[in-house]
Amino acid sequence: MTRTERPSRRSSGPRSSSLFAALATGVAALAVVSSRAGGTPQEPIEQIVIGGVTPRFAVPECVPRRPDEASQQACRTLTQVLRNDLRFEGLFQFVPDSLLTAVPPLDPDAPSFEDWKGIGAKVLVVTRAGIEANELTVEARVYFVDSGQTMLARRYSGKTDNPRLFAHQASDDIMTLTQYTGVARTRIAFASDRDSTPQRPSKELYIVDYDGFNPRRVTVNSSLNILPAWTPDGSSVAYVSYRQGAPLVYLAKIFEGRSISNLTGERDGDQAFAPTFSPEGDRLAFASNRSGNMDVFVSKADGSQPRRLTTTQASDTAPCWSPTGQEIAFTSNRTGTPQLWLMDAEGLNVRRLTTVGNYNDGCAWNPSGQFSEIAYTARLEAGGFDVAVIDLATRQVRQITQGRGSCEYPSWAPNGRHLVFSCQRRGVWSITIADREGRSVQTVATGPGNNVQPDWGP
Amino acid sequence: MPPIRHHRLASAIALVLILAVAACGGKKRPPALTATPGEGGTTSSAPVGTSPAQPLDEGPDVRALGDDYPAGSDIPYGDYAMGTEGGPLTDIHFAYDSANLTDEGRSTLEKHALWLQSHRDVRLTIEGHCDERGTVEYNLALGEQRARVARDYVVSLGVAPERVRTVSYGKERPLDPAATEEAWARNRRAHFVVTR
Repeated sequence: MTRTERPSRRSSGPRSSSLFAALATGVAALAVVSSRAGGTPQEPIEQIVIGGVTPRFAVPECVPRRPDEASQQACRTLTQVLRNDLRFEGLFQFVPDSLLTAVPPLDPDAPSFEDWKGIGAKVLVVTRAGIEANELTVEARVYFVDSGQTMLARRYSGKTDNPRLFAHQASDDIMTLTQYTGVARTRIAFASDRDSTPQRPSKELYIVDYDGFNPRRVTVNSSLNILPAWTPDGSSVAYVSYRQGAPLVYLAKIFEGRSISNLTGERDGDQAFAPTFSPEGDRLAFASNRSGNMDVFVSKADGSQPRRLTTTQASDTAPCWSPTGQEIAFTSNRTGTPQLWLMDAEGLNVRRLTTVGNYNDGCAWNPSGQFSEIAYTARLEAGGFDVAVIDLATRQVRQITQGRGSCEYPSWAPNGRHLVFSCQRRGVWSITIADREGRSVQTVATGPGNNVQPDWGP
Repeated sequence: MPPIRHHRLASAIALVLILAVAACGGKKRPPALTATPGEGGTTSSAPVGTSPAQPLDEGPDVRALGDDYPAGSDIPYGDYAMGTEGGPLTDIHFAYDSANLTDEGRSTLEKHALWLQSHRDVRLTIEGHCDERGTVEYNLALGEQRARVARDYVVSLGVAPERVRTVSYGKERPLDPAATEEAWARNRRAHFVVTR
């Protein structure tokens, strides 16, 4: 994987500054290998192996360090969120909850591994939590049940106001035992009309944790604010706003509360759309009509040194970057219908990508580098839209959504293992997440209103 | 730009002022009150004349013609049917997934061009809108195309290009939010907003 390091977070919240891993004792240097060939047939292809075994997790209830209600409540939240986070990653199997209760009470300081072996657990996750002096301390230990070996041991402490973050951090740390980067601490930006009024119809931008919790509003201007795009370091969100009349690209520095107007330097009367940062964060691709019609441009991340990459009289728009930053896919109707095209980041070597269907738009290139594929929105015969993924090697298309109403605007999780998009059912648009195979598709509760145009950030 | 329907009173006032000036200018000479092209169309230059000073300064620089100004008050161009939102320049409509002008659209734009030539103090913003049946990004491109073909056509009829701007709304601000053929047809449009 090219993406091994998590971008540093600049939040002043408890997320990073006050969370720390105190001790990482006994982290075994276990071989983490892919078992593409070795999995049983019904297993997902990407089933991983930790320490030579398929990881069947037991995540028993967190054990409170202290008897007070606050500590117990923190423990309950921790258990619930950690289980949810680990399940979401889709890499592990779990001992059923009914079997967890069949085991004698867990001694968190000296687990009886035979008990856990008896119910088929291979990996045991022991957590403890307690609140003291208005500080929440969480310990997480991950054991290899067969040998009793400690694979991971972490202590986290910080403010008590959001225990979910502790669970997210622990989940991401457990994910470091695999070859994948966890997504539990990632966030999703999207546009919503939830604060719109009949007098001032508007869309504003919001950010939620990947699981839909902890919503925050980013824009407050009662105009149209759409098409959010994270910077790869997670410090800012570029988007398109109509607050000055014409649609222009803005950059919201979300932790500084500042914003930069007209990032792409459009002249009076011109419009800009669909900003997206290169994986390294050094360049910005976007669409502008400054040349007389819609074309794809690339500039430095600060909007300087713009370069026009497409030159047709057709509409060329909606660019997305390859994981190497060396190629760009985009939408063009130069053949009469919107289709996805590819070119290198200098605008050369242009070739058509999609050939099936007469309406394909909104590319999102899998950022992992492991899966060479592009997600996009395709119109179906029946007229609705669905999210699809095209394999760049074989050009085979797999449909991610089916029968969920109209779905569009896919964006990949940073590790390339899930997609977020928006689906309209019964007249309401909702943020929806699927794994990259399209096996599990779930609506994420992100709040009221029509919630659209999600961008999955770091 | 604020939402179109915002500040209806202010819009109505702005309209009356525009029309008052336009009416004078059409009969005599170029209106005394002109927003010089390139000035960015600020409204801070309060009109001199019979109207008392109105708090236009703090308003936005683009004003939609509201849908609720007094009907029939001081409108010198009765030939033009009032559009769906009450402006003197009616919407033109497009076929699904198309940015081609229809015959009806051309004919409407020809009337608009005439009107613009007799109201040389106004500038125009053409909004391109789409129905909801399409993707976000491509609809923004389609809306841009729709606004652009309308602009190109009125410019080809002699309207100075610097008087006409375009804005694409894609499917982001439908006139009619219903999911019916009728609503979709109404939403596939170029909408004209008079600017000063």
